[in-house]
Amino acid sequence: MTNNRKHPQVPSFDGSVHAVAPDVAVDFLRNTMPFKELPDDILYSLARHCRIDFFPKGTRILTYNESEITHLYLIQRGGVKAFITDAEDKIVLKDYRGVGANIGALGIIRGTRANLNIETIEDTFCFLLPRENLLNLVREYSVVAHFYLKSFSDNVVATAYSELRRNRMTRRTTDALYLFSVTAGELTKTLHAIPGTASIQKAAAIMTDHAIGSLLVHDDKEPGSVVGIITDTDFRTKVVASGRDYRDPVTTIMSSPLKTVQSQTLCFDILLKMMSTGIHHLGVEQDGQVTGIVTSHDIMVQQGNSPYYLFKEIVAQSEFQGLYPLGQKISGIIRNIINEGAKAGNITRMIAILNDQIVVRILSLLQEQMGPPPVKYCWLLLGSEGRREQTFKTDQDNALIYADPENEEQRRRAEDYFKLFAEQAIEHLVHCGYPLCKGDVMARNPKWCQPLSVWKSYFLNWINAPDPQELLNSTIFFDFRCGFGTEQLAVDLREYLIEQSNKKGLLTYHLGRQCIANRAPLSLFNNFIVEKDGEHRDKLDIKFRGLTPFVDFARTLALKYGIRETNTLDRLRVLMTEEKIPRDLYRATVDAYEFQMQLRVIHQLSQIEKGDFPDNFIHPEHLTDLERRMLRDAFTVIEKTQSFLENIFPAS
Amino acid sequence: MIGRFKYSRWFETQHELITKNREFFKDFDQTRPLQQYNFVVFDMEMTGMNRKKDEIISIGGIKIRNLQIDLGHTFHYYIRPQKINHTEATLVHRITPEQLREAPPLTEVIPKFISFIGTDLLVGHYVGLDMSFLHRATESVLNGTLANPGIDTMRMAKGYKRVMLGYYHDRGETAHKLSLRDLSREFNLPVFEAHDALEDAMQTAYLFLFFIKKFKKGGLVSLRDLYHVGRSGRWTSR
Repeated sequence: MTNNRKHPQVPSFDGSVHAVAPDVAVDFLRNTMPFKELPDDILYSLARHCRIDFFPKGTRILTYNESEITHLYLIQRGGVKAFITDAEDKIVLKDYRGVGANIGALGIIRGTRANLNIETIEDTFCFLLPRENLLNLVREYSVVAHFYLKSFSDNVVATAYSELRRNRMTRRTTDALYLFSVTAGELTKTLHAIPGTASIQKAAAIMTDHAIGSLLVHDDKEPGSVVGIITDTDFRTKVVASGRDYRDPVTTIMSSPLKTVQSQTLCFDILLKMMSTGIHHLGVEQDGQVTGIVTSHDIMVQQGNSPYYLFKEIVAQSEFQGLYPLGQKISGIIRNIINEGAKAGNITRMIAILNDQIVVRILSLLQEQMGPPPVKYCWLLLGSEGRREQTFKTDQDNALIYADPENEEQRRRAEDYFKLFAEQAIEHLVHCGYPLCKGDVMARNPKWCQPLSVWKSYFLNWINAPDPQELLNSTIFFDFRCGFGTEQLAVDLREYLIEQSNKKGLLTYHLGRQCIANRAPLSLFNNFIVEKDGEHRDKLDIKFRGLTPFVDFARTLALKYGIRETNTLDRLRVLMTEEKIPRDLYRATVDAYEFQMQLRVIHQLSQIEKGDFPDNFIHPEHLTDLERRMLRDAFTVIEKTQSFLENIFPAS
Repeated sequence: MIGRFKYSRWFETQHELITKNREFFKDFDQTRPLQQYNFVVFDMEMTGMNRKKDEIISIGGIKIRNLQIDLGHTFHYYIRPQKINHTEATLVHRITPEQLREAPPLTEVIPKFISFIGTDLLVGHYVGLDMSFLHRATESVLNGTLANPGIDTMRMAKGYKRVMLGYYHDRGETAHKLSLRDLSREFNLPVFEAHDALEDAMQTAYLFLFFIKKFKKGGLVSLRDLYHVGRSGRWTSR
């Protein structure tokens, strides 16, 4: 408990030190939702109205439909179970509540008797706040009302998000670490230089070709001897603005001599030098030779400050080798946007944009290398990539679709071309940090590198004769989108899929039934749903248990209603605007999904930063009370989606 | 577990508060159910352990009604001792000499405390020590001692361990584990850092609540039953 004693110990009129409740009692309220949102003077006066009670293990606190709820119970120590008994006297467990949780709020606010039986499962101490006091708080403080009335009020979500950030993002002591570990030598890129006699126009052309912002100028006779540097700014200030002739030699506009740093200089010292001199392009020297340039931009990218810079850098890459390290930088960028308060939806979209761009660059470079393809093609992204929901280090899931060849010769040429194309593309992607797909769902697998007509037959097969087991493995195909190439091919395939599946409701019916059946064996552990056994015992598989149900829900309904979006949040939004799902279900699913996505992203990021391989297994003990509670709420939303589907796809 | 304390030197004029107090406890009924009694859990800080010379410098108390801690009824005073220079030693007690110089004297605080207690039962950890200081204080201020029965949570702890946990040998190993915080940790109660007499009283109140409800769940009903547990270490099921 914290001991920030904000309340002054001023003697009251009669000399008593405390006309107030003990600080230890106020501390408890101060650390309990939603009271922590209230001002201190309110907390002190609330505490005076509280009583503390102790309930030994096995004590019944409230009885369903009998107990009048006179107090709100706040659990200070211990835990309770909430349950009802059904018609056959069987106990139906509703949930467990632990420290910081409350009992009775709903009944008090609704003015009803207890709607659950409450029994202590451990020795339990509770704060008892009188009913009237709670009702006053609900009336006077919207934070309190929100907390109790809306299971997912934005307010609480925001608090949870900021808690998430605070709690999990502080492990790396400071971003400045980069500044103290990376040296100038590690930042330098390929050296570009021209002789001093070259024209200004020539220099501009070289810089444009290589998409670089600065160029070294060397001595005419000694290419190793650097005499100066020209930058983008020089063209503006010294050429255009002053009307200089483009044919003048570059020496007339260069900055000279070139300021340099040693290659072992740390980023921090480079930045200091740049800031003190106002020069943002420094030569990097090794053994008396200039080996490259380091710019302030390089350091900013290294710091991972800006997704935009990374994006530009990817776009500007003209070599495969240059792309490899950029793929690895994505997690650093993501950390920053999380720190800035980005929500999960934006985070995964940002990751998708950067990943997409790497795919685009690799495939464009490949195409340049191999020459134009014999027929039009489209590189398909599947599964989480197709939904723009990748986090970190997700396996490659891709496929290739090409236009139906017109003759045998073209067919053979297409097969050969795309086989080689796909093999190389996938290898480059591995180098960029995207591991191979274990199920071999990749374009290099001949089965998934086929002309449009064959793809149509695949889908027709899934639609007409859905084998439940096979269907389970094929869901990622329904989330395809175009990653590169001729988008029309992907559009055609999507139209075909929608048209055919509308003819027969069998596919969506099976998918719907699968969503409903997907009640995995779960055990309740300390307030929490965790894996029962195996390597990840007592941990929660947030992807499979928490997120997949929402993805499946959105996909099934999107297919049913012919919605073309592949992103889960987009699908849900269209379902809502087209009035296929009610607005409150939409809000609940989006909130639950985003919250869990956030948990997952932050979990994985902290693993990456510790040097571990990211996974989806979350340890409940590492979550705060609020997070646990929100997660539990998120699971109840899964049940809502299932009962919604039950109405659409009733069991036959 | 429950003790009555000696009558005062009755030849001096008792203060009205004392007279009323003694009057009430003359026919005190110990057979009512536990939840019908009110308790005051208290803790005091002294300048030292010498019952003859040392003085009380703070009192913290909290009420228990219906076997629940009532955070709305607390008592906490610092007391200015007669020998103020004595008080360097009180730094141990987290009280500054400044606070003591500004505090009211014992003659003002004791009557307030007695009003606060009223006819409630007194509870403390190792309550005998505090009681003897309290008696000396009431005697000097009001010419008489209180008749409120005292309940010692340390003895409750021994009784609990004997009866509920079956430790019949409460010497040796367990003996040094009877401090307020050791016990609180042992039974997994919320543990507070000690800051002042009021918070020590709170800690004691949690401990008292724990024992009394455990005993109650074990079949103990009236105050007299509690008395028996303290004496014999067992109770007959009723």
